Amino acid sequence: MKLEFTCNGEAVRLEVDGAMRALDLLRDRLGLTGTKEGCGRGECGACTILVDGMAVNSCLLYAAKLQGTEVLTIEGLSRGDTLHPLQEAFLEEGAVQCGYCTPGMILSAKALLDQRPDPGDEEIAEALSGNICRCTGYGKILKAVRRAAEGGTTAGRAASSAPGAFGEATAPPRQGGRG
Amino acid sequence: MEYHVAGSVEEALETFQRHAGPRRSAMYVAGGTDLAVQIAEHLVRPQGLIDLARVPALGGIERGGALRIGAACTVAALAGAQGLPRCLVQGARAIGSPQIRALATIGGNICNASPCGDTLAPLVALGARFELVSSTGEREVEAERFFTGPKLTVRDSGEILRQITVPEEFLAGSSAFRMIGKRNGQAISQVNLAVWLRLSESSGRIEEIRVAAGSVAPVPLRLEATEGLLRGQAAEQELLDQAQAAAAREVRPITDVRTTETYRRRVISALFREALEEALDQARAGNGGPR
Repeated sequence: MKLEFTCNGEAVRLEVDGAMRALDLLRDRLGLTGTKEGCGRGECGACTILVDGMAVNSCLLYAAKLQGTEVLTIEGLSRGDTLHPLQEAFLEEGAVQCGYCTPGMILSAKALLDQRPDPGDEEIAEALSGNICRCTGYGKILKAVRRAAEGGTTAGRAASSAPGAFGEATAPPRQGGRG
Repeated sequence: MEYHVAGSVEEALETFQRHAGPRRSAMYVAGGTDLAVQIAEHLVRPQGLIDLARVPALGGIERGGALRIGAACTVAALAGAQGLPRCLVQGARAIGSPQIRALATIGGNICNASPCGDTLAPLVALGARFELVSSTGEREVEAERFFTGPKLTVRDSGEILRQITVPEEFLAGSSAFRMIGKRNGQAISQVNLAVWLRLSESSGRIEEIRVAAGSVAPVPLRLEATEGLLRGQAAEQELLDQAQAAAAREVRPITDVRTTETYRRRVISALFREALEEALDQARAGNGGPR
């Protein structure tokens, strides 16, 4: 079937099998591999994307359901080298270990903050309840979301010449951002 | 597998008819949160899927005299809705995760007919009626008569659940829902239970009561003996103790992969007491119905 939707701000038109999973469409047809497959059955949240602002499991979503929608994946969050405040907050709080759950965590958090800019701790925990992390114990993830909500991130981190995470003299260039 | 996105109920019914035949099969799908997993694991193998999620006639929540909920109304919409019976909203909030609730629909939860579906006990307690439509006509089935076994209902595979109605008389009462799972987030119910009741305005006695429990029998179970103990009575502690014990006796749980029969029996008794007290508190405070 013919499918038209908006992905990370860009119009997408393609011919797909409607019964394909949105997850496979994003990863294999559009090359957006930031969206991860974990369990493949809607339990871990690694494949979370936003469809019309709602967090959904892309492993359970048939591609046909994307018709006419606005999709946001993790790749659509930064603006060039300028990270989204949630991405900044995750870096600054050290809310990432293996990183596999991170795209889904950040998108679930974004869905919350777009609706509730100043959520309580319970609301944050509830919003992330469909995302499983097996590394961090969640403490730093919750702190990072709280920090992003409070606007406490260092603006322009990526563009600055401050030492990088591993002590390089300059931050390595980031790739994959959309200008 | 063919995938059809239906624009109307009529179109969906026609598409189903086109697929009918000895070696062809189609299934209706709404949110797909359960069906997509079953298909991926080859537990069901339909040749076509007919997507009902965006059919306009299947959407929306209307409160006239009765409450009408379109079958494709999402669980997230129910969980966030104002003015609905409390037990139904609590049941919707207990389902899955935010990601699941955004896709899943009340009609899907009903037609999927898993004994642990968290809207089923509330709908039975609320005396809900399900409107089914097919290419040959329409019929209405009481929630209590709809479920025939685990994942089995009276719905013919070609029929579409169009809407769920909660009669006006059940909106003028108070209700509460409880479930217990392995953890708080995204847990499948080990048992769940809904209580609906109405107090007499003059005497304060329990005028009418309905109790339904899930995952304690092959279908959502009305606890009629327990109801009978309470109906027409003043809600005094001694009687509530007796009713709590009766609820534990009346359920028919089994031991399965999720938990044991003994645990289910004990927990349903505690959940019943909590839900009953909450519904009574609501009724006495005079804000028990819509919330």
